Amino acid sequence: MIENVGKNSSNPLLHSSKLFFSVRQSCPKNRVSRTKTHNCRSFSSSEASLRSDRLCASIAPSPSFQFPSPASANMVLEATMVCMDNSEWMRNGDYVPTRFQAQADAINLICGAKTQSNPENTVGVLTMAGKGPRVLITPTNDLGKILQALHGLEVGGEMSMISGVQVAQLALKHRQNKHQRQRIVLFAGSPVLSEKKTLESMGKKLKKNNVALDIVSFGEDDGEKVEKLEALLNAVNSNDNSHIVHIPGGDRVLSDVLISSSIFTGDGEGGSGFAAAAAASAAAAAVGGGGGAYDFGVDPNLDPELALALRVSMEEERARQEAAMKRSAEDSTAKGQQAGESSSVPDVAMSDAAPVKITDKSSDMMIDDDTALLEQALAMSMAEAAQAAAAAGGGAAVTDTSMAESGGDDQDLAYALQMSMQEAAAAATAAQGSADVNQVLGDQSFVSSVLSSLPGVDPNDPSVRDVLASLQAEEEEKNEDQAGKDKSK
Amino acid sequence: MASCLHQHDCEEHECAGDWSLFKNIDIPGVTALNEAIEESAKSVFKPWEQRLDLSTVLASNDDDPELIVFIPFTTDVKIKSICIIGGVDGSSPSKMRAFLNREDIDFSQANDLTPIQEWELAENIRGELEYTTKYAKFQGVASVTLHFPQNFGANATRLHYIGFRGEATKVRSLLSRPSSLIRVDWRNFPS
Repeated sequence: MIENVGKNSSNPLLHSSKLFFSVRQSCPKNRVSRTKTHNCRSFSSSEASLRSDRLCASIAPSPSFQFPSPASANMVLEATMVCMDNSEWMRNGDYVPTRFQAQADAINLICGAKTQSNPENTVGVLTMAGKGPRVLITPTNDLGKILQALHGLEVGGEMSMISGVQVAQLALKHRQNKHQRQRIVLFAGSPVLSEKKTLESMGKKLKKNNVALDIVSFGEDDGEKVEKLEALLNAVNSNDNSHIVHIPGGDRVLSDVLISSSIFTGDGEGGSGFAAAAAASAAAAAVGGGGGAYDFGVDPNLDPELALALRVSMEEERARQEAAMKRSAEDSTAKGQQAGESSSVPDVAMSDAAPVKITDKSSDMMIDDDTALLEQALAMSMAEAAQAAAAAGGGAAVTDTSMAESGGDDQDLAYALQMSMQEAAAAATAAQGSADVNQVLGDQSFVSSVLSSLPGVDPNDPSVRDVLASLQAEEEEKNEDQAGKDKSK
Repeated sequence: MASCLHQHDCEEHECAGDWSLFKNIDIPGVTALNEAIEESAKSVFKPWEQRLDLSTVLASNDDDPELIVFIPFTTDVKIKSICIIGGVDGSSPSKMRAFLNREDIDFSQANDLTPIQEWELAENIRGELEYTTKYAKFQGVASVTLHFPQNFGANATRLHYIGFRGEATKVRSLLSRPSSLIRVDWRNFPS
């Protein structure tokens, strides 16, 4: 997956779409255990539709816009051991198609999610039933190896949860990168035979060694199981790093329920883009809601690549506009430049919109939505360009010729220039007003008459005279400077 | 197991200069096992002047007085002595075992391995005691792991301050942990 990224251009939107598509492509190939590509297909199509929904809402920046740093996205470095239940109880068909297959799918998803959220994450798998716990693969970040290890597994025997978790702990202890946090994901499908106290002490031991535990409780339920597992969770849990999910049987697919659960979304601020986007599709289907009221309408947790790309392009746009404003404000004879700036700003908007167009063309579902979106984006940027031009219009003498030049471009631009002219006029009158005031002050006789009319001020008072003298001296100095300047010109 | 007493008034004498190893501690890299509050281990590393500030606490989980603290340094150091200020009412640790330059000490290993040095601690709420090290063994230290197996009878162990005295070298050995390096966000890579 990462190799694909390397061949791309530096555009973040392209980058994100390539990642997304490479995941799509790798999914069916690696489906070793199921003929039905149910999960994969549903994710891709629904994610595509979700993306188009999000794009509709995304172009208009919300007033509460902020720039979260990229580092705030979930990048927890973690080593995970998945404990799989391959006991006889897994032959049951109350999950689609069998409990074991559903479990295998869920494990595929978890591995994918973990490795995608941080490429240095490692995942390992062990089975608990049979002769004893058997480590299928030690923690690795190679998804292909993990999926291969899950191939050709057999069901049988009884599960021993305690020893399974202990072996998992040992495997994590010997992880290569000691800076990774430790996590165990336990699939508890068969009845729990251990005592509650034993489970609690095991939980405490895990907590003591900083190991987090996620429990997926499904399959058999003999009444005590839930209680025991909850007790185990309470013993392990430290600052909410551990979670439990109960999945009853029936029509629902185990993986889908798991995705929307806290195990995927509960690590820190959210799960990976891959799994969480799938979660969003499942949630959206059920609830009918969208991505929520986030910046750009894209939940950074659900789709960090898209959110990042949008954020980056907005940032670039604003930076360019600010630079444009500064440049045109500084330049006093800015009339040609103003026209230039205003026309360059829509160019920039176009170029930003263009990558959106390119990526979306590659997905059939999105074209119609995006032409509408592009027009919307352009209109927005025009309006912003108009604002920028208006704000930058202070002090410039915009003549009718410049209006005629750019009048051909766009109605909005013409209006913007008109506004800027008005502002310039206003600024000029303001400047003139202050100049008048200075002149008035300089007129000494007027000043003294005013002062004499003021109660308590005696124009013959020496201090008052000093002030007047200083005012006059300033006025003279100014005049001299002006004369000097004119001479030097 | 040697200790020495500060019988002078520290403010006048500038003992602070001797505890310069505080600046060499890689505080973001400090981790602890069995701490009740995550990341609380970092708070007990403070300058010498603030050693008596009892507001910073590293407490173990209730009913379990064992603590392991892993302290990496930014450069290799030579440790002369260690100062530990524990809590009141028996929550001060009674024993300390040190391991050097190992990142993988957890409770099972700590109990199996022989430490470089062991000390019997006293309740040291005013921070007047220092525990000197066998200096020859504490040369070229990139990281030290302290294991506190017992306390003076309380349910949980509490520490308020851990300080090191010694010399810092300018050398950074391969064993030292590069936690001060910038975490590279792989998404920032161009193409």
